Amino acid sequence: MTALASTGPRPTTTWNTTRGPLGQSASMAARSLASIKHYPAQLVEFFMIPLMILLSITFFMGGQMMGSWQDFLQYAGPTIIAMGLFFAITSTGMGLYGDIKEGVFDRLTAMPVSRFALLAGRVAADMVKHAWALLVVGAVAFAIGYRAEGGAAGTAAAAGALLLFLFAVSWTMALVGLTAKSEEQIQTWMISLLMPLAYTSTIFVEKDTLPGPVQWWAQVNPMTALADTMRMFLGGGSPGAETLALLAWCAAILAVFVPLSLRAYRRKLTN
Amino acid sequence: MKHAIEVRGLVKSFGEVRALDGVTLAAAPGTVLGVLGPNGAGKTTAVRVLSTLTSPDAGTARVLGHDVAAEARKVRERIGLTGQYAGLDPNLSGEQNLVLIARLLGASRRQARQRAHELIERFDLAHAATRAAAKYSGGMRRRLDLAASIVRRPEVLFLDEPTTGLDPQSRGGLWEIVRELVAEGTTVLLTTQYLEEADQLAHAIAVIDHGRVIASGTPSELKQTVGGLVLRLSPTRPEAAEQLVQLAEWAAGASARREDGAVVVPVAHAGEAQAVMARIGQAGVDLAGFGLHEPTLDEVFLSLTGHRTETDHQQKTKELTA
Repeated sequence: MTALASTGPRPTTTWNTTRGPLGQSASMAARSLASIKHYPAQLVEFFMIPLMILLSITFFMGGQMMGSWQDFLQYAGPTIIAMGLFFAITSTGMGLYGDIKEGVFDRLTAMPVSRFALLAGRVAADMVKHAWALLVVGAVAFAIGYRAEGGAAGTAAAAGALLLFLFAVSWTMALVGLTAKSEEQIQTWMISLLMPLAYTSTIFVEKDTLPGPVQWWAQVNPMTALADTMRMFLGGGSPGAETLALLAWCAAILAVFVPLSLRAYRRKLTN
Repeated sequence: MKHAIEVRGLVKSFGEVRALDGVTLAAAPGTVLGVLGPNGAGKTTAVRVLSTLTSPDAGTARVLGHDVAAEARKVRERIGLTGQYAGLDPNLSGEQNLVLIARLLGASRRQARQRAHELIERFDLAHAATRAAAKYSGGMRRRLDLAASIVRRPEVLFLDEPTTGLDPQSRGGLWEIVRELVAEGTTVLLTTQYLEEADQLAHAIAVIDHGRVIASGTPSELKQTVGGLVLRLSPTRPEAAEQLVQLAEWAAGASARREDGAVVVPVAHAGEAQAVMARIGQAGVDLAGFGLHEPTLDEVFLSLTGHRTETDHQQKTKELTA
């Protein structure tokens, strides 16, 4: 009954497509985006928060802050969009947390697949979502009267700077998602880290209006580097110290958080 | 290579708990090794070490000649894993799940679709190929999970309790697939809580408890350590139990024991059970019920360790009170 002899040669599979970590990341990213097909309402959800942040701050607070909401939109519109998308990076943490809970990563970890690709796929998928949200909310800002002096090229460069920044900071959330004990914990991290970071920068206000000690921090705050770089491109200027500061911040964040995330992944999945 | 899987003195602790306490196992190429044990015996930890997900504290584990710790990458190239919890993406359809795995393993788009299609046909999932895995039934999810673990035809396949929670029909279907894979030459390590499953599929069985192998051998060798069959007698009047024990021992020459109001008699074969029943009939003892069955994991355990597996014990108590 149990004597199961082998009855012939084992069929083998020869797949020799060379797909390195980048190809594998793309497969993983496509996987994370596939749920949109099953739940298309997500396409609206991706831009609702940044859109509502832009509209409510512009219309309800803009007038008081700068006299007219139109002036405020012109000064802070793009950076408020940046802040809305900055808050959306929590999705990277939540997504990885969910993936690990579901058990799909156990199988993937026992496969000859790059660890980097497993994490980068999630980050890349979230970048696609952020780019989509940026497109929609940017179009709304244009529709209600925002105009960039820098024209199309300046707008594209500012969008590129924002996406680069989001890519780097998404890796901090990857680390949070891999080490968090609960989803609530991820939310708490978001509120307690991302909000102060955004509010102590030049996202909304000019640096000179901040209290003394905060001014120093606002100067080095990566969000200030981002806001100043975006304003420079949108104003039609040419890159200077603020752009260097932004690039330095992005490089530093990646250099620290990619290895930390990979380490956290190993600890979590192969303990 | 003599063994496809070779494990020596494997130790793994989680804090105070010694999940593996010197486990030694071996499986010849193209055979099924059944690892049998109750919850918490260390089965899952053993599978995790062998599939490179956990590194052992001491001892060695080699799969197809490669050390799982030092040559993890080489091991991953040649194994498949179906964990205790479905390793699927619930948001993807069955087909998308398989295509994803094939793509990650280096298949071109066309190759990936073709392989997914083959597997979906073979595992009888064609009717649900485009449905999200989250909406699959338990049996379908297990089949998809198993399909996902053989996308690239692994030489060694690890199945961690592949049929736990399945109805008998789905379980039989899964056994059939495992037999086919073995017929193609795949080496399988299967953990289970069910003696019947190990009996059906395994060429060799290792019984583990508290992180140690307490017995190993072929299914028939193991069953001999327990006795061939078990006759269970439930007297109408509880007082008659003692008389039943005496009659059974007299007829079968074995040591019967009382258990929760019933009398349990290990017998070598059905004929011996018949003799016991005849003897009881002659003595005129009324029975409320009786049953002849293969030794359960619980009975293997009882005879090997002197203690019961908790899950089986609870189940048995339930059966008796039902």
